[in-house]
Amino acid sequence: MSIAISEVKTQELYYPEIAEITAVKRFTDKEKWFDIKLPGGRSLGHRPGQFVQVSLFGAGEAPISITSSPTKKGNFELCVREVGMLTKLLHELEVGSTIGIRGPFGKGFDVESFKGKDILIIGGGIGIVPLRSLINYVIDNRNDYGRLIILYGAKNPNELLFPDELKQWEKNKDIEYHVTVDQGTPEWKGNTGVITTLIPGLDLDLPNTITAVVGPPIMYKFVLMSLKTKRIPDENIYLSLERRMKCGVGKCGHCQINHSYVCQDGPVYHYPELKNLQEAI
Amino acid sequence: MKKYQLNNEQLPSFIDHLKKQGTVFAPHKKGDASFSFKKVEDPNTVILDYNRTLNSIKKYFLPPREQLLSFSKRDNSFQKGFIEKEKKIFLGVHSYDMKAVLKLDYNFTQGNPEENYLLHRKNSIFVGVSFTPDEFHFSQSVGIPVHNTEGFDIYLEKNTDGYTVKIITEKGEKLIDGFDTLGKAKDIATNYTQFKNKLKYNYNRLPEVFEQSWNAAVWEEISKKCVGCGTCNLVCPTCYCFDVEDNLDLSLQTGTRDRSWDGCMLNSFAAVAGGENFRKTLAERQRHRVYRKFKYISDITGEPWCVGCGRCTAYCTAGISIVEIVNQLCDIYEQKYLNRPAMAGLNAERL
Ligand SMILES: Cc1cc2nc3c(=O)[nH]c(=O)nc-3n(C[C@H](O)[C@H](O)[C@H](O)COP(=O)(O)OP(=O)(O)OC[C@H]3O[C@@H](n4cnc5c(N)ncnc54)[C@H](O)[C@@H]3O)c2cc1C
Ligand code: SF4
Ligand code: SF4
Ligand code: FES
Repeated sequence: MSIAISEVKTQELYYPEIAEITAVKRFTDKEKWFDIKLPGGRSLGHRPGQFVQVSLFGAGEAPISITSSPTKKGNFELCVREVGMLTKLLHELEVGSTIGIRGPFGKGFDVESFKGKDILIIGGGIGIVPLRSLINYVIDNRNDYGRLIILYGAKNPNELLFPDELKQWEKNKDIEYHVTVDQGTPEWKGNTGVITTLIPGLDLDLPNTITAVVGPPIMYKFVLMSLKTKRIPDENIYLSLERRMKCGVGKCGHCQINHSYVCQDGPVYHYPELKNLQEAI
Repeated sequence: MKKYQLNNEQLPSFIDHLKKQGTVFAPHKKGDASFSFKKVEDPNTVILDYNRTLNSIKKYFLPPREQLLSFSKRDNSFQKGFIEKEKKIFLGVHSYDMKAVLKLDYNFTQGNPEENYLLHRKNSIFVGVSFTPDEFHFSQSVGIPVHNTEGFDIYLEKNTDGYTVKIITEKGEKLIDGFDTLGKAKDIATNYTQFKNKLKYNYNRLPEVFEQSWNAAVWEEISKKCVGCGTCNLVCPTCYCFDVEDNLDLSLQTGTRDRSWDGCMLNSFAAVAGGENFRKTLAERQRHRVYRKFKYISDITGEPWCVGCGRCTAYCTAGISIVEIVNQLCDIYEQKYLNRPAMAGLNAERL
């Protein structure tokens, strides 16, 4: 195969746009929320489940999910856990600081094909961050979708993210919201136990329910087992994967699983597709 | 195809003729036993009779280290990287290394055509040269015979007095324009083009082998010898994975964002924050490397992504041979799935 190189239209792939942090909120010891304004207040134009490469000059870039829904015009939102160098420096930034943004990247959730279906959300820990984009998208297009069932699990009550919104989801009659923590505190009145304990009790319209799962790698195995026991068809399951990412555009190779580049084909995968990939879950 | 004769003593003036038309890069001696592509200063130092260069010409299109941008932390601003668009003439390229460039073309233009690669790559001219396969070359097994001229503008085929000059493209034709001393073609090829090193199966049968090789014991076996140094990635002409890193200068206020060659054999390649590593063991990483060469991209393009240059084997400190790996997989496949005894000898040919 030869490609006519001189005729290929090239793309600048690695230059970030400089964006401004317009609001910051601390949720927990480790997690902060950021509201980000692109030049001119332009919308990012993303899909739920996509991510951006956040750039801090001197520290590099990190893939971070977009947590706001595309139905929110203008600024977009990120929620970042402090785990290392870049995320620590990001946490030190205040309103008015600038960061670099590349993206949005990846495929995200196919919200069009979910229309008319019940949506079951299963989020573990920081996995709720990308799922929140989908949740708010469904809430903002409530008539296009059936039931919205949210299962959210965290290690302990202090690690629950988006506390104000959780209260609203709880109150909203249109949402079936269930939360559990691995370990309660004396004040905790809700469920305790891992997230899989919430699954058996659900009353679902199986063929008509789309399940979106995001959480730490260890969670997937157990959640998938529970979903199987519950007889949710594989075709109705979507998962989002984390991998090391350096470019976001299918070149650097870091995110590769077999023939698939997570930054291009994922991070959200249709489960039947994932089953054919080795080393995926 | 037009053909001429270039005698050995004409070579320096031929190179001078090329130099008038662009920057010429060609193989030179590097130390006692090695060769390296370098910019030609003195035509007399160019060596066209060589077995392989340590690095392929990949280094000119995807430099080992390249500045993507420079930045200032003071005002969080950046400046785009700069890539010179000089005309490059590559002289003395072997057929497998040419093919490797065509494969990189695919990788860097699919999906998101990358400007950096393409700016380096456009405006290049290739003058190939024939070679005598040594104990490491096996390009014939992956569909690239010695005289494969795909990608070349001119091809030099060695003969007793010098070279038969074959003009492949219009660009090649233009390149010899004004060099009037070329003689009439003699067609007296002398290069011995038989390969000693061979894969047991022709490349078009490898997909079925790799379909069954995921759980082969071979991966565990070689991982006992492999030290995970990543040399095999760096020297491979079709490996193009990279890392991106910000480097601050002494002021700690300004710096550059650079990309550099990376390798999937290195432990940290698929590691993420929090201690998770998606290919923890050397066996998993070896399998990934070899599957990248023979399955993942090949399933899409129908071509192996290994060009049979033999570098990964010649330069592996642990003596790991990619031909042996693939041939062992062929043996296992044959025993297990075709119920035939393996043929004796690693190089028994079965096409
Ligand atoms: C698609 C996707 C979405 C993500 N969304 C979020 C999110 O919404 N919120 C959040 O807090 N985190 C998210 N992460 C994880 C986040 O990218 C990592 O925590 C972050 O890169 C760590 O960088 P660091 O410099 O702080 O950590 P360090 O441990 O200092 O990083 C060291 C090196 O490892 C690399 N690295 C470590 N982990 C990752 C990783 N997961 N992906 C890529 N490179 C990595 C870094 O680039 C750096 O070079 C997401 C990851 C992916 C792949
Ligand atoms: S060069 Fe040899 S020892 Fe080094 S990583 Fe490759 S196979 Fe292993
Ligand atoms: S895998 Fe080895 S033999 Fe094949 S192209 Fe790469 S370095 Fe050459
Ligand atoms: S992040 Fe570089 S290829 Fe996916």
